[in-house]
Amino acid sequence: MATQKADVVIVGVGAAGGIIAAELAKAGMKVIGLERGPKLSTASFQSLDELRYFQRQETRPHPKKQPVTWRANASVRATPIAQQNNGNQAGGGTVHYGTLSWRFHEDDFRVRSQTSERYGAKSIPEESSAIDWPISYADLEPYYDQAEREVGVSGKAGNIKGQKIEGGNIFEAPRDRDYPMPPLFVDQAGRIFEEGAKKLGLHPFASPRAIASEPYKGRAACTYCTFCQSFGCFVGAKGSIMVTKLPEAEASNNFTLITGAMVNKVNTDTAGKATGVTYWGIDGSENVVEADIVILGAFIYDNIRLLLLSKTAKHPDGLGNSTGHVGKHLMAHIGARAFSIYDDRHVNIFMGPSAQRHTIDDFNADNFDHKDLGFIRGAQISVSPADLAAGPIGAAGSLTPPPGTPRWGAAYRDFLSTYYTRFAAINAQTENLPYADQMIDLDPNVRDMYGLPAPRLTYDWRRPAESKRLAFMQQKLLEIGKAMGASKVWLGASSPGSPGAHHQGGARMGSDPRDSVVNSFGQTWDIPNLFVVGSATHPTMSGFNPTLTIEALAFRTAEAIATRYRKSPGPLV
Amino acid sequence: MGEHDEARRAFLLKSAVGVGAMAGTALPGEALARARGRHGGEAKAVESAPAKTTSAHGGTENRGLFLNEDEFATVAAFAERLMPGAPGKAGAKEAGVANYIDQALAGAYSDQQEFYRHGLKALDAQSNELHGDAFLYLKPEQQDAVVTALEAGKAPAFSWPAAQAFFNTLRTHTMEGMFSDPVYGGNRDFAGWKLVGFPGAQRLYTQADMLSTEPFKRAAIGLQSVEKTSNRRG
Repeated sequence: MATQKADVVIVGVGAAGGIIAAELAKAGMKVIGLERGPKLSTASFQSLDELRYFQRQETRPHPKKQPVTWRANASVRATPIAQQNNGNQAGGGTVHYGTLSWRFHEDDFRVRSQTSERYGAKSIPEESSAIDWPISYADLEPYYDQAEREVGVSGKAGNIKGQKIEGGNIFEAPRDRDYPMPPLFVDQAGRIFEEGAKKLGLHPFASPRAIASEPYKGRAACTYCTFCQSFGCFVGAKGSIMVTKLPEAEASNNFTLITGAMVNKVNTDTAGKATGVTYWGIDGSENVVEADIVILGAFIYDNIRLLLLSKTAKHPDGLGNSTGHVGKHLMAHIGARAFSIYDDRHVNIFMGPSAQRHTIDDFNADNFDHKDLGFIRGAQISVSPADLAAGPIGAAGSLTPPPGTPRWGAAYRDFLSTYYTRFAAINAQTENLPYADQMIDLDPNVRDMYGLPAPRLTYDWRRPAESKRLAFMQQKLLEIGKAMGASKVWLGASSPGSPGAHHQGGARMGSDPRDSVVNSFGQTWDIPNLFVVGSATHPTMSGFNPTLTIEALAFRTAEAIATRYRKSPGPLV
Repeated sequence: MGEHDEARRAFLLKSAVGVGAMAGTALPGEALARARGRHGGEAKAVESAPAKTTSAHGGTENRGLFLNEDEFATVAAFAERLMPGAPGKAGAKEAGVANYIDQALAGAYSDQQEFYRHGLKALDAQSNELHGDAFLYLKPEQQDAVVTALEAGKAPAFSWPAAQAFFNTLRTHTMEGMFSDPVYGGNRDFAGWKLVGFPGAQRLYTQADMLSTEPFKRAAIGLQSVEKTSNRRG
């Protein structure tokens, strides 16, 4: 057993933890980062191999060894989910993510207020526990700007200081300046999506992505290979924390990264203050890091599990849980999908960065009138390969053939061999509301390879308002597909009650300790030297991918710790 | 051997030439062993023989990593029903899917060995129930009827694994064997990639490539391809 000391210990060095590690180490604080996975580099990803990374998920937690379970409701036994969004290496999910880098809309930060003002409070489903964020878009704008520049986002502004710009996203919140790099090249799928959406009077644009469209800060530009979502980038063009912030942290000489370290407990003293963490090392040893500040930067599954596992007499329901909100208000993006095929052209959608290439924001957030629709909020609608990754294994798994064509046999073979190069998928990524009974707790039946109870999700998204939103989006997908000139458009199989993606919530931030776990800096109300960062803190989720918001919040938290907490430890709010 | 057995033997030998030739494994000796097992009273599983190396259908021979001869041939036959070959269209056998699965079960998927053993036994039991013989010896249309029953979950011979789970796993692994890089033992000579028009591990596409409405023409690249393209643009 080893005991090490540091100013700050960070559990998980991904989008949130990696940024905070770099910023605090550069500010002169001694930081230890604990990472359960390995440390990799661009050199690790020279095999452009769909089986290894997409299908067998090498960069993600192993679904059997590190299970996360899910059940639709409390009356059934939970089973492990097939794929987790998060990463399992230093850099976390940013190593394999699709790189979608969105700023949330202004009204994404105030769903309850915005909805009440525009449609009346009764239009919010009665059971939904949605609260406004404790900060506004304007509070976060400078940190969004910082994140876009530091990870390197390519895109075209649609709104600079209130000035709308054609070709960008005219629905985006006002930004101070344009993206640091121009958009990536458009591909055939993006072009036909653009043409089709414009015919319908919609406003398509190239999705902002953290991929270098030109050489950027010593990193190579994208070569438009197939192997993006689910893969580490073989030229380092992807703006992952692995190639951006971790090298900064290491160059500071104040940062120690310990890999293969599985944290199993946050330690607290008799006064209830956090003193550090206990972890199992790669050799099986039990070790302790003592630190003045403990930051949980793992994905929401492990963040919540650690809070619950670390209960003491002083914190009998787990850390940060004095008002009973840890693990609750869980949300997931639920996807609707349509497939379109083209007899008059090849689309060759296997080329280029794979995920959510072109987007319309017309039916997202409160960008459209929801009066009499029976639901609030919306979805990001984008064109993509079948399963965001673009290879044929993914297509064989996810490109459901049109009604009447079987999933196997000669007819299926002919369908796949004809249309693999002649299809495009259109995806809606729907925002779903938080509910107190959508939650994470500890699974009493399933344990992981370390012997710890698996995080268990309990959650069925099929509530009336959520189902109406999905059905509305499905109609939009069919309309767009037809406008794209497809020979045929059909809906992909929806998976009833499936757990969805991009889980958020469970340690939400708020203005009031009575309905939240942390403040806007991720500082727990109960223990001022214990922070939770990442998407667990999001009170509502937006239809956009969460990574840039996670990163912006991390820069904001790091700044507050370095400039304020360090001088005067205590509540930041 | 009675008259019935003689007829049976002739039929099996024919099968070995027909169905079996595709599998490259259902050799007469084995077929006889099976016939003896079935008709001699006590049915015993045929022991796995050492790897055969003389198949005229390369990539389909059992290398003996995990599956025994019968299991291998059955997996190959099942995969071929999921992705059947036709002139100019490579199917699962031509792509070497069973070899991929055998390699995977001996390595990355070793935790699924019992799933396969039990599933293949249930498959034969179900085939016997529906058509009076093991899956491997059924006619293609009879095999299709069995696969259809599994897909629909209407195969009472299955308990664990469930019929649909077995079907779904075989389908997933068949697609992996069709479309993963040949280093994993399937997709022989890029047969699967050629079937669908995927050019493999290309390291670069130009904007013109991406906007083209024509088929992509450059030769497929695998992990073992000698040819390397530049990693970087400009």
